[in-house]
Amino acid sequence: MPPVTRPRSGFSASPGAAEPAMPGRADAQDAGGVRGALRGLLGVVRQIVGAPDYQRYLDHHAASHPGTPPLTPREHYAEFVTRRFGGGATRCC
Amino acid sequence: MLALNMHRLLSSVVWIAIAALGATAFAILALTRGESISAAWILAAGVASYVIAYRFYARFLALRVFALDDRRATPAERLDNGRDFVPTNKWVLYGHHFAAIAGAGPLIGPMLAAQFGYLPGTLWLIAGVVVGGAVQDFTILFASMRRDGKSLGQMAKEEVNSVAGMAAMVAILAIMIILLAVLALVVVNALRASPWGLFIIASTIPIAMLMGLWMRSFRPGHVLEASAIGVVLLVAALVAGQWVARDPTWARWFTWSGPGLSWAIIAYGFFAAALPVWLLLSPRGYLSTFLKIGTILTLAVAILVVLPQTRLPALTRFVDGTGPVFAGKVFPFAFITIACGAISGFHALVASGTTPKMVTHESEARLIGYGGMLMESFVGLMAIIAAATLDPAVYFAMNVPAGTLGPTAETAARTIAQWGFTLHPGQMEALARQMGEATLLSRTGGAPSLAVGMATILGGVVRGSGLALWYHFAIMFEALFILTTVDAGTRVGRFMLQELVGHLWQPFGRTSWYPSVLVSSAVIVAGWGYFLYQGVVDPLGGINSLWPLFGIANQLLAAVALCVGTTILIKMGKQRYAWTTLVPLLWLAAATLTAGWQKVFAGDPRLGFLAHARLVAQGAGSPNAARLIFNDRLDAALALAFMAVVLVVIAASAREWWLVLSRRKAPAVNEAPFVESAYATGD
Repeated sequence: MPPVTRPRSGFSASPGAAEPAMPGRADAQDAGGVRGALRGLLGVVRQIVGAPDYQRYLDHHAASHPGTPPLTPREHYAEFVTRRFGGGATRCC
Repeated sequence: MLALNMHRLLSSVVWIAIAALGATAFAILALTRGESISAAWILAAGVASYVIAYRFYARFLALRVFALDDRRATPAERLDNGRDFVPTNKWVLYGHHFAAIAGAGPLIGPMLAAQFGYLPGTLWLIAGVVVGGAVQDFTILFASMRRDGKSLGQMAKEEVNSVAGMAAMVAILAIMIILLAVLALVVVNALRASPWGLFIIASTIPIAMLMGLWMRSFRPGHVLEASAIGVVLLVAALVAGQWVARDPTWARWFTWSGPGLSWAIIAYGFFAAALPVWLLLSPRGYLSTFLKIGTILTLAVAILVVLPQTRLPALTRFVDGTGPVFAGKVFPFAFITIACGAISGFHALVASGTTPKMVTHESEARLIGYGGMLMESFVGLMAIIAAATLDPAVYFAMNVPAGTLGPTAETAARTIAQWGFTLHPGQMEALARQMGEATLLSRTGGAPSLAVGMATILGGVVRGSGLALWYHFAIMFEALFILTTVDAGTRVGRFMLQELVGHLWQPFGRTSWYPSVLVSSAVIVAGWGYFLYQGVVDPLGGINSLWPLFGIANQLLAAVALCVGTTILIKMGKQRYAWTTLVPLLWLAAATLTAGWQKVFAGDPRLGFLAHARLVAQGAGSPNAARLIFNDRLDAALALAFMAVVLVVIAASAREWWLVLSRRKAPAVNEAPFVESAYATGD
């Protein structure tokens, strides 16, 4: 597969502290206030522990493969877990 | 202009102050003998060194040596697939990478090495990380990032040659077997005759399965929700464990002997590797990641709040090699006992695994690779502090095997008195009662004494209450991520074996074909299970033979990584800077080969495997003699094989360096071609 150069759309290159967990997820800012901050925080936690982000997948899918049906949450999780943990060596002693 | 000068002046003043603080801390560490110092000085020496190394040395590596270029698109940007290639915020990735490299290693190694006193471990953790470990992690992360996230084995094959690639594969498989055996031994020793501890660890299996089902079927992908449930259930099991330990019937159910526990963990390892990942491995992984980050942060805060005084001497008489925890002089054994925290070859697998696929800008590799390893060294310092705040008599009573201490507190007190430390009558019994354990004598492996140290520090924040809870919390924390490593490591070994045998007989290589899954899992489990069981029944305490083997194997992998790094630097035309990886490589090779040689050939039967075999052979025909002799010879053969692999990789790399430097070979690097980044540059 040739490398694809994606334009900046939908992802900010140097995400600030409030935003990074959910690049391209506009509602994080729109929700505003405590809820928005909490959602942002949960997003950061999710990325640190390496949890899947279904919304991010949907954004990616819509941008890269328009017109094809995306995986359901269940299919997406099953695929994610196999990819991430199936190979094994992701952690040290 | 004036403002610029003011800024520079201020910056100079700050850096001079940090340097002065570090120098003062080192002076106090170096000059204090026979009196107690505050743990703050250990922290100050470490943190000042880390900050200076990060500001100056890591910057030099980033700008001059690697010439990191933010105009160059990273694999995360070019290959973004929303799954494993994902551009990630640098601080988030820092946390993610740290969680992947830190585990039980940086906590256990320094605890064992504390038999030399706190000074050798402290100095090695600080110097080793700045010049060695952080450089290795950064170099491999950089190299992999420039090669679309290729693994260490692939890079060894492509950049050095196929012999080095093969040696790296063998090294990874061998280190995995020994690593799993020694970590499982740590867990067995921590849970032996401890109903409270065993109850918690046994509970983690159904808890993890419940989480797995939750995330897969009930609420697909809701990892945080499932983890929250898992943490609550885990705390409930922690608290309920004390009632289990108090009730005679329940306590009997959860009181297991060493051999019994080792069979249980072997069976667990087999099923965990053969079951689908979503059921056990991934939920346990998430649970232990949360616990790891939470506990390490809590411990750091507690140490800062309590600022405990050291009780262990800076140096003990055991630097001469007569140490009762493990045999061997401070050089080379301090340097292979403490691997994780100073330099750990295993990290090269992580730095060439998930992390390079997630870096957004090249320049961020400095924070993640170099900075992530500094944090792990800091965790090692916390373990040193936990060891240093223990009463030395208690430290030795807990970490020396029963074969040396004798069976009772009285025999232990007599032996420890010969070493110049006083164990008071009733002291160990009182401590065991405080910690909610039946006994704490000869609880080798480092985890129980680390738990006592952690409980003392964490309990110190709340004025010494709930020590037993804190103790079992610490045991749970260590055992949980050791078991995660047992799961994941067995699975990695299984895949490698399936791939290897798959070359000979194709059906075996199909990773999801059940007969192949079962056979290969069984072979890997039998491999580490054998060493584990022998370690559990070893009269010298298995740590004495297994931990040095693990250290040698781990440092050997680091040597392979540094060989790959040096080769890449030379091929990039950066031979002027090849010393950055060559210096740690030479030091590691010296320490590892000396240690390996001594473990095989030393005349002292406590140190040399072959001398021990001879001693057993001369002895009055013990019923286990044949088995002991066989194990000694097996360990000796393994150590020799490790040394041979290092020498092969070094020779193969040196040949490549010579060919390139003497212009007999064109210096071609296999970097992915330059693609301009679409992201705005700058930091």
